[in-house]
Amino acid sequence: MEPHDHGHEAGHGHDHPHDHAEIGQLAPPQFYDIMETAVRELLIEKKLIEPDEIRRQIEVLDSRTPALGARVVARAWLDPEFRARLLANGRAACEEFGISFYDDTQLIVLENTETVHNLIVCTLCSCYPRPVLGLPPDWYKLKPYRARAVIEPRAVLAEFGTIIPDDVEVRVSDSTAMVRYLVLPRRPEGTEDFTEDELAAIVTRDTMIGVVPATVAAGGIRQ
Amino acid sequence: MTSTENLVKRLPNDIGGLPAEPIQRVEHELEPWEKRCHALADVLDFHKIINTEEKRCGVEALGAEMVGKLSYYERWIVAFANILFRKQILAPEELARKMDEVRARWNGEAVVGN
Amino acid sequence: MTQERSSQPRKSATVVFAWGERPIFQAGDRIRIGTRTPIGHYRVPTYLRGKQGVVVQVIAPAAVDNEEEGYGRNAGKRLHYYRVAIPLEEIWPDYVGSPRDGLYIEIYETWLERI
Repeated sequence: MEPHDHGHEAGHGHDHPHDHAEIGQLAPPQFYDIMETAVRELLIEKKLIEPDEIRRQIEVLDSRTPALGARVVARAWLDPEFRARLLANGRAACEEFGISFYDDTQLIVLENTETVHNLIVCTLCSCYPRPVLGLPPDWYKLKPYRARAVIEPRAVLAEFGTIIPDDVEVRVSDSTAMVRYLVLPRRPEGTEDFTEDELAAIVTRDTMIGVVPATVAAGGIRQ
Repeated sequence: MTSTENLVKRLPNDIGGLPAEPIQRVEHELEPWEKRCHALADVLDFHKIINTEEKRCGVEALGAEMVGKLSYYERWIVAFANILFRKQILAPEELARKMDEVRARWNGEAVVGN
Repeated sequence: MTQERSSQPRKSATVVFAWGERPIFQAGDRIRIGTRTPIGHYRVPTYLRGKQGVVVQVIAPAAVDNEEEGYGRNAGKRLHYYRVAIPLEEIWPDYVGSPRDGLYIEIYETWLERI
């Protein structure tokens, strides 16, 4: 789904006292935008945080996208020893890849197999493996997905076009503490001679949430 | 047993298993202020000024109506304000005056630029 | 009186663990999730209270109780979280799916009892 074009520049730090009009942003900031600016400026004035920290963290967030997770999955598909390390300790294996975890979370990678299909959700809020996937989509954070994934996962999967046979076990992981999850989708047939880049290109965000399987057709770079 | 007990016993975010509508696969690119708000949350957690669990607790404490009607990052920033007041890091008057100042800046300089 | 020097310590060196230092459950243990009703912040969803399941993984290291962390406790007494598996059929009376379908969740030690 294409992101909306809001005509805004990407957020930038406000370390100078006056906001300047952003190119294309003609409307004054709304209530919550003003609140955020005011809270941040006060905390900076009180020297509790520094403007550079916010700026830097925006860069960190911008750098975390599903492409990172896709590379981890592609490597796991090609390298059985990496796959084993990934399944034993998800965070350490990602860090091997240079994907740092800037928070205190751990990562458990959930392997989809012929007999097991994994799905991740956070019913209480929006826990999500942000360091390796970036920010979650709205639907992951809204009530329908969060309420229904734990009571009717097969119906939820069907809404994404994913039908799981009855002889395959569905495992729904509800994140509530410091562990985050990443689904390791099954490598689709027909990819036997794909390069690592070509494999990564077919691993979309939704395959790593577990709502869809990886397929050769979706988002690939092959013709 | 009164019906209000459930309001106390069940947090507004505790929705696992409740009836809900079909999933609409909406997503949006974050507004600049939302991204700044997310970065602020991370920085506050790094410093343990407001840790991530305190943020969750603060959002819950907004109560069912606000949790239902405010958007995701709107809930965060209001929760931050409340927590910062409770911790006596900010005062309500201080934040109100700063918000007026921020708003006035815009009104004084809208469109024309720096 | 002479004592023969021994090359071994006279007493066996038994290490005693501090409270909470070691997990009290192991993978494979059957557990029940508690039924208490906290006022305020909690991280065990209502839909799982009182349900029975199996520990599948001990989460290490021990950590602060996130229900207290929500009120500002950033350090202090640490216990373990446990990843537990609960059949979806056991949670929902009218569950539609395979009897093998399961819900997996991390639960803090104070919420679990051995069965």
